Amino acid sequence: MRAIRFVLAGLAAAAAVSALAPGVAAADATDEYPIPSNMLKTTCTVDQYMAAVRDTNPVYYERYMIDYNNKSPEVQRAARDRIAWFFSMDYAGRRQYSEDTATNAFYEQLAWNWPNWAKLFFNNKGVVAHGTKDCASYPPADPGVWVW
Amino acid sequence: MRMLKSAVVAGAVALMFASAPVAQADRDEAFADQLHTYGIYGQKDYNAWIAKLMCKRLDNGHDADAFASAEFVHGQLNRGSTTDQAWQFVGAAVPVYCPNQASALQHAADR
Repeated sequence: MRAIRFVLAGLAAAAAVSALAPGVAAADATDEYPIPSNMLKTTCTVDQYMAAVRDTNPVYYERYMIDYNNKSPEVQRAARDRIAWFFSMDYAGRRQYSEDTATNAFYEQLAWNWPNWAKLFFNNKGVVAHGTKDCASYPPADPGVWVW
Repeated sequence: MRMLKSAVVAGAVALMFASAPVAQADRDEAFADQLHTYGIYGQKDYNAWIAKLMCKRLDNGHDADAFASAEFVHGQLNRGSTTDQAWQFVGAAVPVYCPNQASALQHAADR
């Protein structure tokens, strides 16, 4: 009897181990996390996207800009440069960046200065979905989106 | 003397309450109540945010006139809201949150 119990316990342990060892590690990025797929795929410019969000999710935009306006000019410039750099990449590059930030908490240096620096762009799937939907109808270059 | 003192204290206390700044929530509450009469519901804070942003957009020239405001507001109301409701929102929000924009409302009405 004790032997049977022992075998059963062994089987249970084996099952637990196999359940824990699927191919994808938990920390890996997906097409939706940490950066939503619409953000990986959009062909809009940063300015177009921000102008769209200002109209589609104005409260979200307002909160981001309040946060932005409370940062030093250096950090503000760093954020603008960083997101421009992100938008300059194609899907593969953005997907790789998503992977890098998901698997290495120290990858994004800017996050030390401003943890929520990309909140408007990466954090909310719904906001990104709305913002990327009609962003192409806005002017491609409009620095005014950073002045609010 | 003691009565006088207590009367002064009572008066001072009353004054303290009376001169306390009016809580911002009252304004939002009144605005929300008015929206309800138009069948516009939703979170009180959210609607107040939208109203303030509507004012901000008028003030900084992002929205050129009340027509643009109504369009902006319409985009933020629940799906299925009518254009009438958007205008009612604008009409209610201006006096409460940006009375300085009353002329924008008047221009729209005159057109």
